[in-house]
Amino acid sequence: MSDTPHELQESRILRTELLWAFGVGIFVAASLSMIVFTALTIKINPPSNVERIDPKTLHLSGEFAEQNLGTTVFGDGTVIVRAIATQFMFVPQCIAVPANRRVTLRFASPDVLHGLLITGTNVNTMVVPGFVAQVHTEFTRTGDLLMPCHEFCGQGHSEMWATVQVLPADQFKPGPDGRVSCAQR
Amino acid sequence: MTDQRPEQSDPHVLDQPWRIWSTIAVMGIVLVGILLGVIVIPVVQGRSAGIDAFTAICRALGILPGSPAVPQFTDRTPPTPVSQVVWNSDVLRILARADVAKGKAKVQEVCIACHGEKGVSVAPQYPHLAGQSGAAIYKQLHDYRTGSRVNPQMADIAKALDESVIADVAAYYAGQPQRNLNPVTLAESKPAIIQLVELGDPHRNIPPCAACHRAGAGGPIEAPVLAEQGDEYLVQQLKLYASGQRRNDVYGRMRLIASRLTDDEIKGLAAYYRAGFR
Amino acid sequence: MRNADRLCLAHFWVAFGAFLFACVLGAWQMWVRSPLGAKIGTPGEYFMSVTAHGVSMAYVLTTFFIMGFGYFVAVTALNRPLPGLIWAWAAFWMGILGVVLALISIGSGQASVLFTFYPPLTANVWFYVGLVLVVAASWVWCVLMLVAMREWKVDNPGRPVPLAMFATVANAVMWLWTTIGVAAELVFQVIPASLGLVQTIDVGMSRTLFSWTLHAIVYFWLIPAYIAFYTMAPRAAGGRLYSDTMGRLTFIMFLIYSLPVGMHHLLMDPEHGNGTKFIQVLLTAFVAAPTLLTIFTITASMEIAGRLRGGRGVFGWIAALPWERPMVLAIGLAFVMLGFGGFGGIVNMAYGMNAMVHNTSWVTAHFHLIFGGSVVIMYFAIAYEIWPRLTGHDHPSLAPLRIQLWLWFIGMMVMTLPWHWLGLQGQWRRVANFNYADPIIAAWGPWVVVSLVGGLVLLVSAILFVRNLVVLHRSSVQAIARPLYALAVHPPKRVPAALNGFGLWNVLVLVLMILAYGFPIAQFVIEPSPAAIVHRVR
Repeated sequence: MSDTPHELQESRILRTELLWAFGVGIFVAASLSMIVFTALTIKINPPSNVERIDPKTLHLSGEFAEQNLGTTVFGDGTVIVRAIATQFMFVPQCIAVPANRRVTLRFASPDVLHGLLITGTNVNTMVVPGFVAQVHTEFTRTGDLLMPCHEFCGQGHSEMWATVQVLPADQFKPGPDGRVSCAQR
Repeated sequence: MTDQRPEQSDPHVLDQPWRIWSTIAVMGIVLVGILLGVIVIPVVQGRSAGIDAFTAICRALGILPGSPAVPQFTDRTPPTPVSQVVWNSDVLRILARADVAKGKAKVQEVCIACHGEKGVSVAPQYPHLAGQSGAAIYKQLHDYRTGSRVNPQMADIAKALDESVIADVAAYYAGQPQRNLNPVTLAESKPAIIQLVELGDPHRNIPPCAACHRAGAGGPIEAPVLAEQGDEYLVQQLKLYASGQRRNDVYGRMRLIASRLTDDEIKGLAAYYRAGFR
Repeated sequence: MRNADRLCLAHFWVAFGAFLFACVLGAWQMWVRSPLGAKIGTPGEYFMSVTAHGVSMAYVLTTFFIMGFGYFVAVTALNRPLPGLIWAWAAFWMGILGVVLALISIGSGQASVLFTFYPPLTANVWFYVGLVLVVAASWVWCVLMLVAMREWKVDNPGRPVPLAMFATVANAVMWLWTTIGVAAELVFQVIPASLGLVQTIDVGMSRTLFSWTLHAIVYFWLIPAYIAFYTMAPRAAGGRLYSDTMGRLTFIMFLIYSLPVGMHHLLMDPEHGNGTKFIQVLLTAFVAAPTLLTIFTITASMEIAGRLRGGRGVFGWIAALPWERPMVLAIGLAFVMLGFGGFGGIVNMAYGMNAMVHNTSWVTAHFHLIFGGSVVIMYFAIAYEIWPRLTGHDHPSLAPLRIQLWLWFIGMMVMTLPWHWLGLQGQWRRVANFNYADPIIAAWGPWVVVSLVGGLVLLVSAILFVRNLVVLHRSSVQAIARPLYALAVHPPKRVPAALNGFGLWNVLVLVLMILAYGFPIAQFVIEPSPAAIVHRVR
């Protein structure tokens, strides 16, 4: 159409749309590249761990029996925290962890869906009955952190939280059995 | 408007490039995703952690547990459990098929002496069982059998009962009607106690009692009904939990809660439930 | 329009009635969890309210509005009576029955499982049956939309389907695909558990099936707003749609890329490997594309309108737009909220950042802003625009409409921006009462109160909205017949079949779903998760 302004010629519209679409493509590629880059260099992963465990027999024996819960330092220096998320508390209610050292936290639920985060850290995971939830992290600041249950688990959900004590190396002393408990304050 | 040659306005001709290019684009995108997510990222991550490529890929798919970037911890130490009761389909089926008549016969033979025929106990140190949750009675009897809950009288009695009889007795008492006491009005109860029951205390990590002990709350299966229970018995049990002498609550929840209640609160809660509040 | 007028109005009144009810509940919830209402409201009451609020907003408001709007578009864009009117009414009443069953279950305290109903927490069976009836009613709507388009194409061979109808049918196709997940979860897992036929549930499977539905459902809610962006806003502003083709591509991209991405709601779950999560994260990045493309196309369309009205200079056309018209005002406000909400979406998609915000108030803020904000404000604008055509009356004055829209925008920003901030600090979700004695939590208190103020403004806006509609019904001003849908700058005479139907796209969706969800679901069939005991909420 000869009376259509130049900017609204069909070819021009097509060109601007394609140009913008190219820009959108760059944006999408950039977002994804950032994710891939952090995955390859600093190993950022979502907390996946397809490890099945029977919620009904958790308390009987094995890793998540009551006596095994809490922080344990093994002979080779690995620090493992095991905790239970249940209606309506975390067991143990206080977890001691060392600062500036890799810690593996393992959670299981004997009943319903729970979830947790630790304030000020990158620890955030759902606890799905039937699976062991596992997070690897390093706590960089000492002090007391809040670990609430952040997924609706029933009427007592609002009162369900634990404390994480991040201890400096000189205060993080395992007992003879490798166990570390929270400092009494 | 650009002129269109006749064959270009035939939709089939117009359409084919769309079909081809859109399929290529969409398939290309998802295949890049699969390549990156399932192969490239896990293999590269595994390399610096000393994890071989095959294991890393299996972990990325979820066929093996663990992360492709971190060695997986494996250690199993089996210690003694606090309660042997497992709520699986078999147990629930046994409870559902319980025979109330057989339960009544066993009650008249054994339990009636302390717990009464209708579930109203003969002395304050024995708990009322009328209208109690069948699952709760089942668990306590089971725990007496295995020694998870310590009581010399009940241990001998429970050891003489087998699995299905325990379920029958539980079903019988569960079916006994409660007395439906008329509780004093809420206005006469202490507000602090009502608050503990309805709201708990987030500061002390104490969930509302009602969140587990009210019927239909969706809490643990074995949570007992507290309404109309004798207050002397309730106080005694809370104190046993607080000191750790009673330890058959799975994962120590009642031990933790009871150890954080004050003596006044323990007395107040016992009175609240004895009065018949639900 | 006559045969479907009452049908559309019936759907809209149900939708907006549920909406107003849910706004009242929402305000109460915000008050109860703030420091001002600290000891008020038991958890039982709070979670009952959250369930009712979620069900009303996410299932009733949306489904009924979209059905009503779809019937309206089918009649007005295609210029023919709605086929199967009897079926449409039957579906409406089935939906009403479903809503009643669900609300009664919730109100009796037997369904406090939230609108996302997480098994193994299990409600009364009538709650789930109610929801199934609502979904079934929407499936009837989907079929009617497909039939309407098919009949039009038979009578108009070779012509492009009007964009508004094409988009509506794209939405219907997407809805049919996405409801498979939640329907499977309910029919095979949750309802049998609720009836007591089984005592345990495979939670890994149920979460995965639900996630199938979770993303595309929000695009189901969103597409009507985009239909308004593309087909109604340019006309309301007095301009033309910059590119009809881009409109078609946008809706096709929503169809393809919003389905195989549900696992981004499970990024923090243990039961899926990180590789399978990555695939869906990559596809999620692509679902950002149609929104970004829309922003360009609609802004260009608005610029045409602005310049036609005499706007000069690089930005002069913005001021020249007829902002006094509610549809134009709404799209401006919607775009602002879309900017904030869309940014939040990108954060959620990157699992490294997701770990900072999952299940905190950030998530609540995100979906209230993007759905409650940009989408619902367009629902208001659509209602204001088409009500005169449905009733024959016109608004006596546009000022209350503009005030209502502004109040909604202001309330939404004031409510959700503090929530974003609180989420970053770790404030977590679904809490009936916070322990404001804890120093960390005490510091959040003032922001919670600010959010509460936003929520109250929203309640006022919601009441004003319903009031505006009631006033319209009673208005003595006659509605003037005006064109509703925008013309494109270059209206297409022919489009390729790929842009005029969904055969090709359905095949691609099938392949994508198999690649994205095939193994994640199959893994629970090959090796079921150890099952969890059902916890009955009764």
